[in-house]
Amino acid sequence: MKILVNGIQHEHKGRGTLDMLLNELGAQPDAVAIMVNDQVIPRTDRTAITLKEGDRVEVLSFMGGG
Amino acid sequence: MKCCHLWVGGDLLMNIENSLILGGQKFESRLLVGTGKFSSVDVMLAAITASGAQLVTVALRRFNRERPSDDLLSPLIKLGITLMPNTSGARNAAEAVRAAMLGRELSGSRFVKVEIHPNPHHLMPDPLETYDACKQLAKEGFIVLPYMPADPVLAKRLEDVGCAAVMPLGSAIGSGHGLSTAEMVKLIIADSGIPVIVDAGIRAPSEAAAAMEMGCGAVLVNSAIAAAGDPAAMASAFAMAVKAGSAAWQAGLMAQSGHAVATSPLTSFLAGDQA
Repeated sequence: MKILVNGIQHEHKGRGTLDMLLNELGAQPDAVAIMVNDQVIPRTDRTAITLKEGDRVEVLSFMGGG
Repeated sequence: MKCCHLWVGGDLLMNIENSLILGGQKFESRLLVGTGKFSSVDVMLAAITASGAQLVTVALRRFNRERPSDDLLSPLIKLGITLMPNTSGARNAAEAVRAAMLGRELSGSRFVKVEIHPNPHHLMPDPLETYDACKQLAKEGFIVLPYMPADPVLAKRLEDVGCAAVMPLGSAIGSGHGLSTAEMVKLIIADSGIPVIVDAGIRAPSEAAAAMEMGCGAVLVNSAIAAAGDPAAMASAFAMAVKAGSAAWQAGLMAQSGHAVATSPLTSFLAGDQA
């Protein structure tokens, strides 16, 4: 399934849950926040959401900032 | 405000009513620090520790697949501080609200520094979008601290919509031009029912002390510490300056006069004309 992750085309091979996507990206689940099609997804909903072809996913973490 | 202080040898041992209160939470330190521009995570952690800061800003960025272990969250949480994610990168209120929600999701903290500056040349905050974002976020239960132009009218409007503090800029972000807005900041303080925190532009600890002497509730410092020759030593210098300025404000500065007011008697006993 083709989705857009942080603005880049990504071929997702799992069943489309956010936990699977994070695993595929090598992201620490506790260190990232996720937005799907501009909606912020609470941590507790990560297994409940199923991605669809063409979804826009943003995976964000903290960096230094003032 | 002036009761309950116990000073021993210049150290404030007990100061019951001197906490900075933001959104109902008490902070003993009136120095807030940012985490940008540090040469390494270790240098940043040492500087935060030396600063004694209890409220620390962080920014959001896209997760980098090439460097999956880059994570600021876990080392910062270990310091036992409260995180205040900022909304840097947002160009309007809607983006700032989304950034705030992502920041809360990640940090578990209700604190948010609203920061909307569409022009990278001067990084001046957009007052209209900042106002809209603050209004929405305060309604959503965030503890909202907006980075804002040093404008007393806007400061009052932001207080009215439920901000926990206002953070007028001293001068442009990262410029090191100090308190160029000092007169406006004084006007904001005179009218404000919430803490006023100078954010941006501060270069020297003396400027942080000056802001506290004016009656600021706190100062937020990032570049001045991160870009110092020795960040941890500079963080410690800022901590002392903020304490000194805060103590001076509470002690009550003397009134100014347009003319000299003698401190010694002026009796002309050497003139030899008493004969």
